[in-house]
Amino acid sequence: MNTLPPSFSRRALLRSTAAVALAVPAAGLLAACAGSSGDSGTAAEGKVTAANPFGVAEDAALDVVVFKGGYSDDYAKFDEKLYAKKFPKAKVSHSGITEIGTELQPRFVAGDPPDVVDNSGAKKMVLGTLVADGQLANLSDLLKAPSADDPDTTVEDTLLSGALDPATFDGKVMGLPYVFTVSGFWYSKTLLDKHGWTWPTTWDGLTALAAKIKKAGIAPFAYGGTTAPDYFFSPLMALAAKQGGVDVIKAIDNLEAKAWQAEPVKAAAEAIASLASSGYFLKGSEGLDHTQAQTAWVQGKAALYHSGSFIENEMKAITPDGFDMVFGTVPPLSKTGSLPQTALHAVAGEIYVVPAKAKNVRGGKEYLRTMLSKEAAVNFTKTTHALTVVKGATGEEDFGSTALGSVTKAIDAAGDDLFSYLFPSWYADLATTLKTEIANLLAGRTDAAVFLSKMQAKADAVAADSSITKFKR
Amino acid sequence: MNHGKTRIILLFLALPLTLYAVLVVSPYAQAFQISLTSWSGFTADKPFVGFDNFQRLLQDPEFWRALAHNGLLLVVVPLVTIALGLFFAAMLNVGGSGGKVAGVRGSAFYSRVYFLPHILPVVITAVLWQFIYNPQIGLLNGGLEAIGLGGLAHSWLGDPTVALWALIGVLVWAGVGFYVVLFSAAMQSIPKDIFEAAELDGAGRFQTLTRITLPLLRETVQVAWIYLGIHALDAFALFMVLAPSGGPDNSTMVLSQYLYLSAFQKGNFGYATAIGVLLSLLSLLMTALTFGTSRKKTTIEF
Amino acid sequence: MTTSPQRTRPTAPLAERSSSEAGPTTTSPHRTRPGAPLATGVTHALLAVWALLSTVPLLWALISAFKDNSELFGNPWQLPSTWHADNFARAWSKASIGDFFVNTLIVVFGALALTMILGSMVAYVLARFTFPGSRLIYYTFVAGMAFPVVLALVPLFFIVKNLGLLGSYEGMILVYTAYALPFTVFFLTSFFRTLPTAVAEAALIDGASQEAIFFRIMLPMAKPGLLSVGIFNFLGMWNQYLLPVALNTDRDKYVLSQGLASLSSQQGYEADWSALFAGLVIAAVPVIALYLMLQRRIQAGLTVGMLK
Repeated sequence: MNTLPPSFSRRALLRSTAAVALAVPAAGLLAACAGSSGDSGTAAEGKVTAANPFGVAEDAALDVVVFKGGYSDDYAKFDEKLYAKKFPKAKVSHSGITEIGTELQPRFVAGDPPDVVDNSGAKKMVLGTLVADGQLANLSDLLKAPSADDPDTTVEDTLLSGALDPATFDGKVMGLPYVFTVSGFWYSKTLLDKHGWTWPTTWDGLTALAAKIKKAGIAPFAYGGTTAPDYFFSPLMALAAKQGGVDVIKAIDNLEAKAWQAEPVKAAAEAIASLASSGYFLKGSEGLDHTQAQTAWVQGKAALYHSGSFIENEMKAITPDGFDMVFGTVPPLSKTGSLPQTALHAVAGEIYVVPAKAKNVRGGKEYLRTMLSKEAAVNFTKTTHALTVVKGATGEEDFGSTALGSVTKAIDAAGDDLFSYLFPSWYADLATTLKTEIANLLAGRTDAAVFLSKMQAKADAVAADSSITKFKR
Repeated sequence: MNHGKTRIILLFLALPLTLYAVLVVSPYAQAFQISLTSWSGFTADKPFVGFDNFQRLLQDPEFWRALAHNGLLLVVVPLVTIALGLFFAAMLNVGGSGGKVAGVRGSAFYSRVYFLPHILPVVITAVLWQFIYNPQIGLLNGGLEAIGLGGLAHSWLGDPTVALWALIGVLVWAGVGFYVVLFSAAMQSIPKDIFEAAELDGAGRFQTLTRITLPLLRETVQVAWIYLGIHALDAFALFMVLAPSGGPDNSTMVLSQYLYLSAFQKGNFGYATAIGVLLSLLSLLMTALTFGTSRKKTTIEF
Repeated sequence: MTTSPQRTRPTAPLAERSSSEAGPTTTSPHRTRPGAPLATGVTHALLAVWALLSTVPLLWALISAFKDNSELFGNPWQLPSTWHADNFARAWSKASIGDFFVNTLIVVFGALALTMILGSMVAYVLARFTFPGSRLIYYTFVAGMAFPVVLALVPLFFIVKNLGLLGSYEGMILVYTAYALPFTVFFLTSFFRTLPTAVAEAALIDGASQEAIFFRIMLPMAKPGLLSVGIFNFLGMWNQYLLPVALNTDRDKYVLSQGLASLSSQQGYEADWSALFAGLVIAAVPVIALYLMLQRRIQAGLTVGMLK
């Protein structure tokens, strides 16, 4: 290295950096004014007719952004074609992405949002924040509009009951949940049949089954500890609701004092904690992400996996033939609970919103109306094996999927006994704490009492924080 | 002798200064403003709240935890990386056989291989390690079991006691190669006659290393420390891919990630930028301290 | 490579050093024979361990890229039963790794050229001339190194948007350049200060313009420093992740780091892991190949500036 040029002395580096570090940057003096505020969307307007209830301008471009997740985005392309058929002059642009918040948040700030957004996935924007900031168009006129298939029925009347709850804020519908998801345990029917096991109807039955599974050399349960431990919060809530009724969950959503300390919630948390202390979880689950956990499950390393009904579609690339994925409703702690054993945690998810500042708000609403047509709904279920919020769109048809068939049966059995909890989508802070604390509980790092007190403390903190907009149900 | 001086100054500064002022200075200045508001990130108006965000920050246990993690990174990553770098560089350059102070055979090959992880794009490194650490099918647990150390297998990214160390491991893995090369170059630039003199004085190989080589490398090590410090503070992409929500029980949350999540997941932009402002002040302070405490008494010239 | 024209100071003989630096070597009673075969064996063993640690993950990724999805989740130490080259086709077409690659080349090389030109101009002026405000300018640049980019992200988004440059190559190039300037200016200013000026002075007397002196005399002399900072910037820009994620909103213009991250998050919903691995390999191979071809240059370039 004797051919080195006389490079600069390192002391120069040390000296100048130190000087900078000691000097207070005067950057603050140079404060420039922030970007121009986005004025409300100059929504293009056309003529209102029976076929065009919102008065969409027929040449107005439509910008659709879809979450490309478990359902992929082919169904959206199909719906866009339907829209384009109706408005041939409109340029419809489509993008299917996974990181909705990362990519769209800046566009919202800039007052340049798309016309329709499927706000879903791990990086979705917090709906409560968007609503509180007046970023979303109220969809009441969409609900009152005639449905796409039958002018005598309103859009609202074609939807499943409770479908709009997750997107209803103080009585105003601010989004359209499109996919009807039920949560419960999933298993391979082939595996259970092989061992002569059946799906239990009580929680004790389930723990007995878990013991048998463990004996057979298979892990009873798996979960994705690094990304989706909150999948396993759903059975906890289900146990609590079946024990003490839906009010138990409503109290939690409404941030009521001591809501987390209610007896049914305690019993439920202890039941879940006992799975961990009995060693019923696949070893290393706390270090797997949800995809890795699900992969271990379809490969038979674990027998039961708790998740929403999107799982079949998510795993179709690597589920072995003859797996026969089937849904099992979470069994109750006792036969004498407030809700029947068949009650289901059902959430209408995949919430579509029309940004208030979109350039083509009317087109956005018309697109949602198109999505709720029978043709679009049937196509969705056919391609994804998941149900939409459109009532009875596919009847008994299971499109050759055991998973879809079993979910349809479970929903029929549940009737009106459907429940859901909303606090994670209302309060981002609480959602983060939930993820952290449920992961601690499942990994056996904390017990039920600690879990509940941590959740209660955070809920109280949110309730006491005047800067957070509150919601009630 | 300065004719044409004014012209060249104006000519050479106009474009870069404009670019820098518009794209770097002004956004940072605006960020300082935003930190004094309760802006959620979606609205056009930004309600002014003064130092409210900073007051809340100081009472936020999550903030202090993330800060502690950053502190640990700032100490451990440079320490381990530099130690390993020096160790391997010494072996490559003064570990030769035959009584001569010379490099081992194949030292060029080694340094070439060691350097590979350093040039790999961070995103690739992150995804790769995700699979290495997978407790079920990962290379690491599989390897430990294969050599009979199955008892050491961990759920690397899922256990709060080891997750941060697992991430530190990745940072070190990617960094060591560069510093091996750097220190090798520094060692080779030490004149041979110094070593020969030492050998005539009867110094053993180890003594030569501790008494001569290392003291002569002191400044290089210092520069390396600063680069590594910056690098450790900047491990954002790696942490975001390997522990997207701050790790198990938030055990791997670092400040830059806390900032990002506060802004983009929780919609607290005012709060997030306040974190950023504090982070900036801290890193300025840290730099100042590093240089303040390492004033050299004398400098060896050769 | 030029031989160094001047030495900073003659070497002080070892004996004259103060004891705090390197004390006179004590003669040990029994001399350790340097180069005992055992020691050499241990040395080689330790070196080999780290060499394995550095290469095995990479080789494993390469082999995994040929496995099908279920094998990928089998024994990590097994070779694929059939080598699936189709993974690469899927990665190339479905994940459009090819397009990302071209985008990255355009943005990185555009920004690199601009950074080197603008950076060396600023550094030269700051190093050679004193004028009112010169120190302020220098420190403003250097201060840019201490701030986390994530802090500037949102306001920056607005600025780029108002300039109409969102999701465009030009916008990315300008932003990359602006954020690479602090280090470049800082590094090259110190570098230019150390260059001898005699030739430049002579040329000035001969009537050459300042600009001509810079381009014809000073820049060629600064080549090693330029190379060094160029490689630094290249690696930094090639790996840049945060800036494109925020500002490069058009999927067709994605750069590699963005594309790979998006591909990786896509796996959370599709579980096509073998395509992801193939994508990683496709993205990594050119960088590694480039490195192996130019490794001497790169290593020398990276270290030259950090050593005397």
